[in-house]
Amino acid sequence: MTEEKVLLDHGSGGKVSHVMFSELILPLFENPELSKQDDGATLDVEGTKLAFSTDSYVIDPVFFPGGNIGDLAVNGTVNDISMCGANPMFISVGLILEEGLPVKDLRTILESMASAARKAGVKIVTGDTKVVPKGKADKIFINTSGIGVIPSHINVSGSNAEPGDKIIISGTIADHGIAVLSSREGLKFESEIKTDSAPLNRMVQSIIQSDCDIHVLRDPTRGGLGTTLNEIASQSKVGIKIDEQSLPIRGAVQGICELLGFDPLYIANEGKLIAFVPEKYADKALELIQQDEFGKDAVIIGEVTKEAPGKVFLKTRIGGLRIIDMLTGEQLPRIC
Amino acid sequence: MVLKYIEEYRDGDLARAIVKKIHAVSKKKLRLMEVCGTHTMSIFRHGIRSVLPVGITLLSGPGCPVCVTAQKDIDAFVEFARVKNVIVTTFGDLIKVPGSSSTLGKEKADGADVRIVYSIFDAINIARENKDKEVVFCAVGFETTIPTIAAGILMGVQGKIDNFSIYSANKLTPPALAALMETDGVKIDGFILPGHVSVITGTNAYRDTFEKYNIPSVIAGFEPIDILQAVLLLVQQNEAGKPALENAYPRAVSDNGNVKAKQIMNQVFQVCDASWRGIGEIASSGMSLKKEYQKFDAAIKFDMDMPDVPEPKGCACGQILLGLKTPEECALYKKKCTPMTPVGPCMVSSEGSCAAFYRYS
Repeated sequence: MTEEKVLLDHGSGGKVSHVMFSELILPLFENPELSKQDDGATLDVEGTKLAFSTDSYVIDPVFFPGGNIGDLAVNGTVNDISMCGANPMFISVGLILEEGLPVKDLRTILESMASAARKAGVKIVTGDTKVVPKGKADKIFINTSGIGVIPSHINVSGSNAEPGDKIIISGTIADHGIAVLSSREGLKFESEIKTDSAPLNRMVQSIIQSDCDIHVLRDPTRGGLGTTLNEIASQSKVGIKIDEQSLPIRGAVQGICELLGFDPLYIANEGKLIAFVPEKYADKALELIQQDEFGKDAVIIGEVTKEAPGKVFLKTRIGGLRIIDMLTGEQLPRIC
Repeated sequence: MVLKYIEEYRDGDLARAIVKKIHAVSKKKLRLMEVCGTHTMSIFRHGIRSVLPVGITLLSGPGCPVCVTAQKDIDAFVEFARVKNVIVTTFGDLIKVPGSSSTLGKEKADGADVRIVYSIFDAINIARENKDKEVVFCAVGFETTIPTIAAGILMGVQGKIDNFSIYSANKLTPPALAALMETDGVKIDGFILPGHVSVITGTNAYRDTFEKYNIPSVIAGFEPIDILQAVLLLVQQNEAGKPALENAYPRAVSDNGNVKAKQIMNQVFQVCDASWRGIGEIASSGMSLKKEYQKFDAAIKFDMDMPDVPEPKGCACGQILLGLKTPEECALYKKKCTPMTPVGPCMVSSEGSCAAFYRYS
């Protein structure tokens, strides 16, 4: 890590974040569990396989179309644990509140958390609250951690992708990022785009309990689908090829991306997963995902190749081919 | 919101039909330059190079406003951020461009008040809400952006907003094309002319340059079908030996352009000489505020005149903008210069040719 100071890019989830993780954080904490770099750690505790994950939420604005920081924080950790192949059970909540936050807002956020936990079937069992002076935080920051049990025969990881695997996405991409962006001050789009924030644990349970032999599960959150596919290509040392024609994107989301010069492949999702499945099980897994209330728009978007390990390619609609790299920093609106 | 005119211009079958025609017509080796950064991005995003005949080389020209902003102007933006009680407002792309000692992003991390805005009107609102501070807007753009900046200045006059000013590094496209044609060693067989810029200027703005240099020139939109169609026209012109100035974007571009926008632009700004990164001074290629609007000129208000500084050693941005080198021919490319540690602006802006090459090839 060459920078002398932490920049916003370090939190983008893209390449710069990865450099900070691999060059600063990982060497100091080095252990086999962390080195796997999955969404959560997979732990062996006296013969039981546990998934353990944590995430912090600092979103601005706190309230956005379709949700708020509270349900986002619960669903996010539920999903991170689910992506380890586990059934999430218990969650902790750490609140950092800015002096002056209206109690009415806090109540709304906490109610959303309670409701999200109920819907996902997880319990919030421990927590902590701190208040900092005005200006030392931005309204409210939330950390959630959680644990879940992984059935002993399940082994999903970003390192397990194999040539020939089909790649399924559970629905439209870029909804969350664009919903949040379009509600930010200064960008007053008249659109109906809502966050896709949702718990994916039931969808995951239905596919891992089938005999579909799921290799990889990931939720493409920060950094978007493009960054997540790159992570998997590099973890599994395989190539990935996806088809632009098949990517599900809402018209309004596409429109805003065009106006601002954003690539939807790098925009965050909060209620979508990608699953890597051997070809012979792909249709069955797809059908199971489509049966879930959050997976109706699921489609197969591509496959894993032996060629070009570590690289992700997109076949464009006009028949061209281009590389999808990891996000190299926060996407900034273009200026002309 | 349903955005029309996207799907139609990304149609796979139509694209394949045009590509087939290009392959059938193309015999000569050709070097075609897309002048606009948005074209560069679109060419990469749709994988257009991968479907063209090998003999056709697409070069990226001086059409990314961030990329052509002179180092001394970037230094001025950074310097404004260091002035007490100043809020610097900027388009997003500029925040990472390295000046000679810092970037707006680094100044922000150090506590300066630097805010990303989407238009000059956001900057004016910030000025309205912060009467006790001075708001400086970094005005960087071509003919597409300049009329909105002019409209912002008029709004400032009307609303008597006196804590607002701009630093103008605005630039004009046709003089740059002429300067390009006059540069030694430049070999270009055709221009893909910018779409957005031409919406304002109209086709006629290129007539003088075309007549003087007799070079195939086609105005193009930004969708893959638009760009492929422009390439086809340029190939046909070259193969037939009949250069022409054609408008392949008639759904947006007219002969005379947006007359009202040009009027506002010329009401507030006057043509001046401007310094282009990597190219140097080009006569009559910039726009500065007219005398009656100079109270909005941040350079005068803050007495800001940064010295000319040499560009970073080894950085080939200038030659790349002129089509003399490809990013891969720059010694710093992918080594010292990456999107994470950019040396030159072509690696910073999402529309810069080095960043586009890095990301997509």
